[in-house]
Amino acid sequence: MAGCFGVVAVISPVSSSAVLADAAAAEEPTAAQDAAEAILQIEGDIAYGQFLASECLTCHQESGATDGIPAIVGIAKDYFVLAVVEYQTNVRDSDVMRVQVASLGGEEIAALAAYLGTLDPK
Amino acid sequence: MTKLTRRRFGVLAGIGATTLAMPAYLRAQGAAPRVVIIGGGAGGATAARYIARDSEGAIDVTLINDADRYTSCFFSNLYLGGFRDFASITHDYATLESQYGITKVTGLAASVDREAMTVTMADGATLPYDRLIVAPGIDLIYDAIEGYSEEAAQIAPHSWKAGAQTQLLHDKLNALEDGQNIVMVAPPNPYRCPPGPYERVSMFAHVLKSKGFTNSTITILDPKPRFSKQGLFTEGWARHYPGMIDWLGADIIDEVGAVDVNAGVVETGFGAFEGALLNIIPPQKAGAIAAQAGLTDDSGFCPIDANSMRSTIDENIFVIGDASIAGAMPKSGFSANSQAKVAALNVRGDLTDARVFPARYANTCWSLIETNDGVKVGAQYAVEDGVIASTSSFISETGESDELRKETYEESLGWYAGITADMFGTSA
Repeated sequence: MAGCFGVVAVISPVSSSAVLADAAAAEEPTAAQDAAEAILQIEGDIAYGQFLASECLTCHQESGATDGIPAIVGIAKDYFVLAVVEYQTNVRDSDVMRVQVASLGGEEIAALAAYLGTLDPK
Repeated sequence: MTKLTRRRFGVLAGIGATTLAMPAYLRAQGAAPRVVIIGGGAGGATAARYIARDSEGAIDVTLINDADRYTSCFFSNLYLGGFRDFASITHDYATLESQYGITKVTGLAASVDREAMTVTMADGATLPYDRLIVAPGIDLIYDAIEGYSEEAAQIAPHSWKAGAQTQLLHDKLNALEDGQNIVMVAPPNPYRCPPGPYERVSMFAHVLKSKGFTNSTITILDPKPRFSKQGLFTEGWARHYPGMIDWLGADIIDEVGAVDVNAGVVETGFGAFEGALLNIIPPQKAGAIAAQAGLTDDSGFCPIDANSMRSTIDENIFVIGDASIAGAMPKSGFSANSQAKVAALNVRGDLTDARVFPARYANTCWSLIETNDGVKVGAQYAVEDGVIASTSSFISETGESDELRKETYEESLGWYAGITADMFGTSA
């Protein structure tokens, strides 16, 4: 649990190359990375993502302000998808996030990523 | 912008389709359909903003609240404990009006005419609606406790609706002297904010301890046999406030009897308890307008369709927040905010060509026991067998590290900033 939000907060949206570079250092892609790659192949439904994201925006502010909880608007798609999968698989440790993402399938995660990517921090 | 075609999400195809057609006169006139929302709290304000934001002007949104400012019940305990000032839990509707085009009406909604589809204000003004969202929160059943009344609440505050009552309790708490005692009467289920009474007692104790009052005690007279986060609070009270707090549940007191607010006495089946400060939190029901509109059942709350938060009594009305019967969800600001988003989507689905997706709900309740000692309980919800059911959940554990408890408290600060921004459209 400790530092879970901090980890997300300090790593602002990054490209897949950075994520994959980390993976390369670990030699084999992790199961979470494999799952994330599969989800990234799904075309996200932005309208569905808009509804799903409303749940996220209770805590993660639409303006991009942080106030102790990291921003997710405008987040890089590959970074976001991997983060969600890592919460689902307990690679990232957060009670709140584990529960929030527990019932998200690939289509839902792809939809969220597609919608959040359309938002600009104010 | 209003279109006549409707695309429904596959899972919901066919559900309630006959109830969702756009009113014929709107098609003829091309007028923007009107949504009226009663209640400007976590449910109503959120619904107003989401409908206005996502319909992009296609729906005319009017938000009724009985005051021009809103003081949140959530975090009002932190004001009592001295962790927040009153201004920080008080918000206005200026951004909703200026940036979202929402019409804010300040006043009391006196009645709903469901046949005519109008809301009549106490001043006689009439507001027509195509869809109505009812989000009045709770009302207190004063006469459920003998000797208690709205008038008596000026002496023995409930402070379960935030605002002047919260300030009254704050002032009475801070006027206590060492050796004077507090007696709280906790409410029976169901009530707003299940951990709230016990967080409040923690804040009482924090204030007394901070002043070095070693001779004052706090007694909780509880008509319930157990309470939310009981293990966590019990552990925290023993750790931070040893000997100061006594919780007496239904197994001991049997029931709460008469209250004499002038004498500061509460009768129970286990004898009388005396306090210089009485905090009486009576049983609760849906806000009065819900009953006036005929939207409540025998429980005093409003049955809803779990897929949409639509009233099961009137298909043109949605009920969200504390006034609704929302299955496994607790009555909380977070729950109301979550339900508002489902209702907002379904309202847009009714009145525009917006697609409607399967309902999802969430809640987390954070509580502060002592400085930097935060705990939480939360869950995700979905519709199962026609009711809102928990699909996964978590709760803080006893024995957690100080570091984790501090993080939990700080997380709650982030949540407060987030949900109020989500409700009022403001940004830090």
